[in-house]
Amino acid sequence: MRITKDMKMADVIQMNYMLIPVIYRFGINLGFGDKSVIEICEETNVDLNFFLQMVNTYHDKDYFPKEELQSIPSKDIVTYLKMTHSSYLNEKLSEIEDLIEALQHTETEDEKYILLIRNFYEGYKNELTEHIMHEEEVVFPYVLTVEEICKAGVISEKNQKIYDSFSILKYQDAHDDVEEKLMDLKTIMIKYLTPPLNTNLYHKIIQLLFMLEQDLSYHARIEDKVLLPKMIAMEKIITELN
Amino acid sequence: MNNITIVVAEASYLIQKGLDAILKKLGDNQVVQKMDSTESLLESLSSLKPNILILNPSLFNGDFKLLKKECAKLESCKLVVLSSDRRDESKYSADAFLHYNDDQSKIFACLESLKDELIKTNKEEKSDEPISAREKNILKHIALGLTNKEIADKLFISIHTVVTHRKNITQKLGIKSVSGLTVYAILNNLIEMDEVK
Repeated sequence: MRITKDMKMADVIQMNYMLIPVIYRFGINLGFGDKSVIEICEETNVDLNFFLQMVNTYHDKDYFPKEELQSIPSKDIVTYLKMTHSSYLNEKLSEIEDLIEALQHTETEDEKYILLIRNFYEGYKNELTEHIMHEEEVVFPYVLTVEEICKAGVISEKNQKIYDSFSILKYQDAHDDVEEKLMDLKTIMIKYLTPPLNTNLYHKIIQLLFMLEQDLSYHARIEDKVLLPKMIAMEKIITELN
Repeated sequence: MNNITIVVAEASYLIQKGLDAILKKLGDNQVVQKMDSTESLLESLSSLKPNILILNPSLFNGDFKLLKKECAKLESCKLVVLSSDRRDESKYSADAFLHYNDDQSKIFACLESLKDELIKTNKEEKSDEPISAREKNILKHIALGLTNKEIADKLFISIHTVVTHRKNITQKLGIKSVSGLTVYAILNNLIEMDEVK
């Protein structure tokens, strides 16, 4: 079901609890009473159009309003992506890490195998963190610069430098490796590891890994399907400027 | 792994969506793409490499023979004619025929049997089999951090052979990354934990 501006925000969340972290990234918190989506967006100064496109994209995997999303300034998309990044770095990744660590403490017999999982996860976490830092430090500043150049129609000296330092084509193939590791971790835990005694904790970790994977794939979808084509189009405009 | 790609070429949005829903029930992992012009269909066939092509011939009246030829070029691609006209069944020779009025069980039976045939012909992929002794040995060296070239030199085989083994190992185990394969190797006592660098 499509989420619309007149629906009650509470009903939206009842419909899909996976949206709780998504709306939180917009700065919207729970406790909305009977307020509608549009009312909440006005209260919190969130762009209604952008909000609706995003929650619908998350909610329905067949919904992908490329054109509408393309009309949203890169600046807003980048702000949103940065919020997602910080939620990965500050919450999700450490949450799973803490649970794996807890698992290691409760087990005595299988400790060796839990250590394997832990090391593997550490490796994954470092790789993802590195990927995120690269986006924050190189890709996003570049995106903002490109948008600025396109708006101004001229390239200042400072912008020229940033523009020359990177190209969006370099970015395209960077996504797959990180996903691969997460999938492997799930496969190993599901297929090959004898579950430890604390099954409750073990199951919870696997469920969180699935949720993280899903969240990451939506995140990547915005980057690959919206930001990337936008950038390619803008780069073309700039080449014509020169 | 029963990753089957099905392409649906049908003009009616309602039928597309309906078929989409039915195909989702059929199996866990399949990609469904829809085309609506001959050119775009022909273009996408080679890149999508569908295992089943469901086609409404009214879309491609004169081009049907051409499409069939293209289909035959692809490895293991089944052609299904979808139509509102019973006469189309004899008019076009395809692997199967679906009529707009067919009921659920008929449609399922038709697609299931095509799928079974596909799986039979694709048996060489052997995704369910355990890895062989040879592959275990290769896996051990991968886990120890050796490159393809180093493994080839050490075992006196070509790099190409190493790559093929690697591909089969990954396919059988469902693990792609080197660090994932390493964990598997340790879990299965192919190497010791402290051997890993």
